[in-house]
Amino acid sequence: MGFDRAGWRFLRAGALLVAAALVLAACSSSPSPKTQPLKTLTIGSSNVFPPTLDLTANASQAIDEVIDYNVLQHLVELAPNGSIVPVLATSWTSSPSFGAPSSYTFNIRKGVRFSNGDPLTPADVVFSLKRVYAPGSTYPYTKIFDVSSVAAVGSDQVRVTLQSPSWEWLYNLAAYSNGVILDPSTVSSMATDPIGTGPFKVTGETTNYSVSLARNNLYWGYKPNVAGVVFRYFTNPNDLNSALQSGQINMIDNLSTPQDLKLFKSNPAYRVIAGLTNGKVQMTLNNAYGPLQNKLVRQAILYATDKQAIIQAASGGYGLAAGSDTVPADPFYLNLSNTYPYNPTKAKQLLTQAGYPNGFSLSLTLPPYFYAQLAAPLIVSELGAVGIKVTVSTIDFPLWISQVFEGGDYQATIIDHAEGRDIGNYGTAGYYWHYAQTSQVAQELTAANAAPTEAQWVAGYRKVLRQITADAVNDWIYIIPELTVAQKDVVGLSSTAYTESFNLTYVGIGGSVPASARALGYTS
Amino acid sequence: MATVLTLFGASVLVFAVLNILPGSPAQVILGTQATPASVRELTIKLGLNQPLPLQYLHWIGGLLSLHLGNSYISGQPIAPELGAALAVTGPLVALGLLFGLAIAVPTGILSALRHRRASGTWLAAATQVGIAIPNFVLGILLIIVVAVDWRLLPASGFIPWSQSVGGALRSLVLPAISLGLVEGAILSRYVRTAILGVMQADYLRTARAKGLPARRALVRHGVRNASVPVLTVLGLELSGLIIGAVVIEAVFTLPGVGSLLLSSVANRDLITVQDIVMLVATVVVVTNLLVDMLYRVVDPRLEVGG
Repeated sequence: MGFDRAGWRFLRAGALLVAAALVLAACSSSPSPKTQPLKTLTIGSSNVFPPTLDLTANASQAIDEVIDYNVLQHLVELAPNGSIVPVLATSWTSSPSFGAPSSYTFNIRKGVRFSNGDPLTPADVVFSLKRVYAPGSTYPYTKIFDVSSVAAVGSDQVRVTLQSPSWEWLYNLAAYSNGVILDPSTVSSMATDPIGTGPFKVTGETTNYSVSLARNNLYWGYKPNVAGVVFRYFTNPNDLNSALQSGQINMIDNLSTPQDLKLFKSNPAYRVIAGLTNGKVQMTLNNAYGPLQNKLVRQAILYATDKQAIIQAASGGYGLAAGSDTVPADPFYLNLSNTYPYNPTKAKQLLTQAGYPNGFSLSLTLPPYFYAQLAAPLIVSELGAVGIKVTVSTIDFPLWISQVFEGGDYQATIIDHAEGRDIGNYGTAGYYWHYAQTSQVAQELTAANAAPTEAQWVAGYRKVLRQITADAVNDWIYIIPELTVAQKDVVGLSSTAYTESFNLTYVGIGGSVPASARALGYTS
Repeated sequence: MATVLTLFGASVLVFAVLNILPGSPAQVILGTQATPASVRELTIKLGLNQPLPLQYLHWIGGLLSLHLGNSYISGQPIAPELGAALAVTGPLVALGLLFGLAIAVPTGILSALRHRRASGTWLAAATQVGIAIPNFVLGILLIIVVAVDWRLLPASGFIPWSQSVGGALRSLVLPAISLGLVEGAILSRYVRTAILGVMQADYLRTARAKGLPARRALVRHGVRNASVPVLTVLGLELSGLIIGAVVIEAVFTLPGVGSLLLSSVANRDLITVQDIVMLVATVVVVTNLLVDMLYRVVDPRLEVGG
């Protein structure tokens, strides 16, 4: 039949069209690499794409990761080893000379310019710090700023007066994005083009895809050994892993699925950095809900949870067992992780003693994060073994904030409390775990902060840690690590993740890292 | 008129559904460390304390004068952001449609011509398999084979048009195939049925009887008649392609409209979500309008309404 040949011709034409398009696309333009002395570092990020680049207007950690320290700098910053180092201040003094500091005087570094060429002045510092607590401020951490006045002193100093004496204020200034120093003439365009004094400046962004930084040639300090840095965003971990394996990216900021570590761990082409964070992954217990009001029941839950098994399941064996609201970088750190060693028998006894010999039902409301999803099945079976029947549901994060965090409408949840030194939450009235001794803890924390010596401050905080652990307010499980995977030649990375910034101050592709930086905890 | 009513209904529905979605944009923006006072202040600043009907009027009034508004989250105008996303999704859907047609028309016609023969049956079976494969599974398979094993095309990501047109096209090839193959398989079934119907029609027999070769008879008299039902399906398929693009963009990490929609929902950037959904609704409604108009071009008998 004539039809047949015509038909085949149709089919051949179609097939040819597809094939031609494939070949055309495959051949056209693979952009020829120009020989440059400096390379661009491409970081595959497991974070969400930053909703804006203005870290003073949005709490998303994704913004701080890119902008804080790298583009915008503080007077003092937190080094990877946890020490507070001078940055835009060359030095500082506090007063009174005895007792908890109630004011700080900073000597502002001279000869610093913003990436647009404007010089840094004490007036810029005053403007930036006053902006944190000005009416209508959207800074995410104004709550912990506690400043009553900021003023320039002489031609090169700035004095900050605190609302109440505090041993913690300088740390907060260094670690939290409140501390960023801005160029006053550029604040209106911070959402797309934040201008700072840091080693990098923003050169462009593609929504839901990438943010590009270039080396800031006006930078006053050590010049990183890269031409620029591109943060590329991936919605699923498989894409992220295959992008690193195929060389599309140089590194992954944080592997969100630790079970994938085996792809890279034994391969000599990569280095893995498991840096500790401030993140305490905990099962938050609503202390105001039915059975959980009873301290014995909460203690039973802590005895029934096997922290090491959860670290294996949810974090690939990396991470440190937690026993209270503290991490090793805290000056007041206490290892209380053995207060309630895994002991189902003891848990059952406590439940019987509390009047629940046959257990009870508990609903566990989870945010959609990997660590929570991976830990939940173990917790369900461990609590099930002592008679607590757990039902799990997952909700998206905005709903989690409004329902669990704001509304307190939950029984238990699993969440990473990522903020550093956030023990103050235990003294915050109405905080979502509804701890019965909140006001007493608040008084003790205030008293500790006003203590005449730092040692007494530490002792006061430790007392609170012991108390909340004895009361089993929450089931602290582990301190979550940041699992950075990089090609072998990427140097100068932070060995820890104690800030929300992904610190690129000393980053390089090849080359060496100054000894002074290595001493602060940057990798060689 | 019907078009306008449909769009109005869609806008009310979208607005209502999104505004009963729990989770306040101000709280998401300020995070867990925010004070209740600052959350309240930001809510007022965003205009979210106003009564819902007023918020609706404000939004729809903006849309009518082509102002898409500013994002709650970034404070930036939505139009350029949406434009950049469309520069990915538009070409992706167009390429997907092209691949779909390139597959559907030849296979459909051939399997019609060869029906009741082994080769035709095989073709029909192959299209059935095509229909059964979800597009994201195909996408993942293509990544593994074409991108990771053969290293022919990038596994994921997108090179902006402004940087390299070839690079942008390369980024879209695998996503477009994943999107187009499945739609093409579905369309192929309709083409087959339509051609089979036409081949049994009297006018085709007449055309052949007066001496036209089979191929020319089909091309001159058959294809036009067969295209009416295919056109209907094509209109519906286009909506399917747009929905499919949301999934495919996630698989290939493309910064398109689908990714923007998902991230906006996660951020509770409600106004961006509303704008995107209205855009998609408009595209679908306008496509159907165009299909209606095309009927008359293809088949002038429909013009007289009888």
